Amino acid sequence: MTTTAVELKYVTNVGFAADFGGRGFSLPSSMVIRGDGMIFVVSRGKSSTKGSNGIQMVTKDHDFLGQIGTYGSGLGGMMWPTSVALDSEENLYLSDEYFNKVTKFDREGNPISEWGKKGSGAGEFDQPSGLLIRGEVVYIVDSRNNRIQMYTLDGDFKGEWGNAGEGNGEFNLPWGICDDSEGNIYVADWRNDRVQKFDPNGNHISTIAGGEDSVLDRPADMAVDSDGTLFVADWGSQRLVVLDQKGNVLETKRGEADLNPWAVEYLASQDDERNARESFVPVYEPDTGDPSEISARMEPYLWDPVSVEIDEEGRVYVLETGRHRFQIFERV
Amino acid sequence: MTTVHSRQEALLMAHLLRRAGFGATPYEMDRALGMGYEGVIDELLNPDHPDLIPDDLIRRYHVDQSDLRNGGGAHWVYRLVMTDTPLREKMCLFWHRIFATGTTKLIQNRVVTNQIDMFREHGMGSFDDLLIELSKDPAMIMWLDNQDNHGSNINENYGREILELFSMGVGNYSEEDIKETSRAFTGWRVVNPDYMSIRMRNNTARPYGYMSWQFEYDENDHDAGEKEILGQKGNWDGEDAVRIICEQEATAKFVARHLYHFFVADELPVPQWPHEEPRDPEAIDILCKSYFDNGHNIGAVLRTLFESDFFKDAGTRYARIKSPSEMVIGTMRLAGPIELPSEETYMADAACANMGQALMRPPSVEGWQGGTEWINTGAYVERVNFAGRILNNPDKQGVRDIIDRIKALSEVDQLSSNELVDNCLEVLGPLEVLDTTRSGLKDYASKFGNLTWSDDTNSDQFDLAAVAIIQLVVSSQEYQTV
Repeated sequence: MTTTAVELKYVTNVGFAADFGGRGFSLPSSMVIRGDGMIFVVSRGKSSTKGSNGIQMVTKDHDFLGQIGTYGSGLGGMMWPTSVALDSEENLYLSDEYFNKVTKFDREGNPISEWGKKGSGAGEFDQPSGLLIRGEVVYIVDSRNNRIQMYTLDGDFKGEWGNAGEGNGEFNLPWGICDDSEGNIYVADWRNDRVQKFDPNGNHISTIAGGEDSVLDRPADMAVDSDGTLFVADWGSQRLVVLDQKGNVLETKRGEADLNPWAVEYLASQDDERNARESFVPVYEPDTGDPSEISARMEPYLWDPVSVEIDEEGRVYVLETGRHRFQIFERV
Repeated sequence: MTTVHSRQEALLMAHLLRRAGFGATPYEMDRALGMGYEGVIDELLNPDHPDLIPDDLIRRYHVDQSDLRNGGGAHWVYRLVMTDTPLREKMCLFWHRIFATGTTKLIQNRVVTNQIDMFREHGMGSFDDLLIELSKDPAMIMWLDNQDNHGSNINENYGREILELFSMGVGNYSEEDIKETSRAFTGWRVVNPDYMSIRMRNNTARPYGYMSWQFEYDENDHDAGEKEILGQKGNWDGEDAVRIICEQEATAKFVARHLYHFFVADELPVPQWPHEEPRDPEAIDILCKSYFDNGHNIGAVLRTLFESDFFKDAGTRYARIKSPSEMVIGTMRLAGPIELPSEETYMADAACANMGQALMRPPSVEGWQGGTEWINTGAYVERVNFAGRILNNPDKQGVRDIIDRIKALSEVDQLSSNELVDNCLEVLGPLEVLDTTRSGLKDYASKFGNLTWSDDTNSDQFDLAAVAIIQLVVSSQEYQTV
């Protein structure tokens, strides 16, 4: 793999605050892109608005195509959904850290099976987060148990690796997981402020960033392009951080979302908000250094970036929980 | 060498820790007695660390506490329970009660949480600094409409309330002072005032969620002309207005009476203060003198209060009714640390609201009056039920410690039911109760007979009996007072 300079250009964003369902998302936690361009975004929702959970289906061109699943404890239900992933048959998998389970939906969105319960043994989870499917293996980040578990597509336990710690192959509340074109696996080692790279069997290959002066701050997720370049949702610093395999920073993005068509359509029906927005200054000099508070004040900025995906054309999608949308960038 | 502390020392220390904090766990009581009364006051008034909470864990696992549109009360509950700087946190509650700002109008919890953070930083410092920060606080600006207070057309809301509710009280200023003070605060607003006001009014998170607010001074919208505030003339701005206000005897008396009301004994409701003398005028004079002698420093006034005879007097103990937040937080601290994620913080926030003190949702700009207002039949039942739910598990770390200490007061592996009650009251305070309360507890406990923990079965039964008595004690009238 070779490192090349990376320059990203903002393209558009997709999303809208939809607390009570409908077109948009509510505190989304993960996304995945299907081969035909369908994008699945799972909304965690407000604890006080239980109907806002669900997996919304959209396209990058602002088509809203409906929702799979909803709040509930039965098959297909969710409470604190954390991640979505697709297998080669385009079945959809969903992890839930409240119920400590993984649910499998068929291509039509019908829930067909689920597995997992709270615990630390085989087949048990303590707040599962990231999901990755490679071939016939489901990799599940078992966050509070600080390990990666491997299952068959039907939920049969195949193996595990990792434990709590700061060394190679050890984790501190890991979050997201992804692979690269060579079959290597990357884990966002969230509270160790680093990314770890493994072979498909969990053998440690390298550690990217980390340590006291890490360039990453609580990374939540990442995606790796065909060059081996990492695009990291750096949740703590509220940025997209682009790294090479050695951890050199190639680019950072704070976010620059504008009004997407859904937002424009909404404002067209709200005279008072639209008129007041004419004098609105979206980005200004903050009087705080707290990245989270700055994101809360500046509408175009990424706020709690949690999921990164790369589509077949190389566009980079960054999902942000706080602003109920994802921003799309393309390489220049 | 083990130091034996007198019963009077222990009772006084328990009183201090109830009033200046949220009561003490047995461990905290032991530690405090080792430090001595003055040492504890020093530590309470001079916390040497910022009391960091695992904000990253809270934001990751309680996603709604990251954007903080909602969940502000639960977010604060976590810190209130887990803090090791309880007076600083209690002063946040104190100022929240006086500078009452509510999400009912502001809609989002984040800006009120930021205001509480400001109280945490300035709540025990100079009152001048606190009032300046309050006047710049975005939540307060929007709460009292100062974004509509223009040089060409004043809005008097903030100018009125800073004089009436936040510093001097009715009867100590004129309508002209309100106008002139309002003029001094023209141009003190938030960034993007028009859009933020309309979003707040429309209660909308669309299109992309809420936006937090930032203070902005608009010089072009400020009335720079001469003003006369409380008899002083000059081209005053907001900071000058605060300086003039803080120099007033009425301000010292107002602050002193609030501190007395919160920390010593229930006063009359604030609206009656202009017409009724303080409950203890001499105490108010002492606190006023401390205010001026110490450059309006609130921490120094608190020290004067905690070291005073009127605070230490045995007659003041259990003379105040616990506010819902004092009751809820104190009980949760007894039960032990909160694990994240926690549904208990949401339950506690809801319990406070059901008992009449919805954190971040005060009933009006006048906040909560307190005193007997806190107790009615429904609220009392809520208190009893909440305490029972929180202290229902002998395996919770705090409950386990209480049970172990109840056992440790016995030299053998057994207790009579009467001893169980006496030991429980000792460990949970020491809690002083009426004879009728003690005998009622013993009547109830008598059904357990003599108890032992000599083997696992007996030990389990002892735990259940101890939990039942702990729950009954925290349901008592005495536990509802502070």
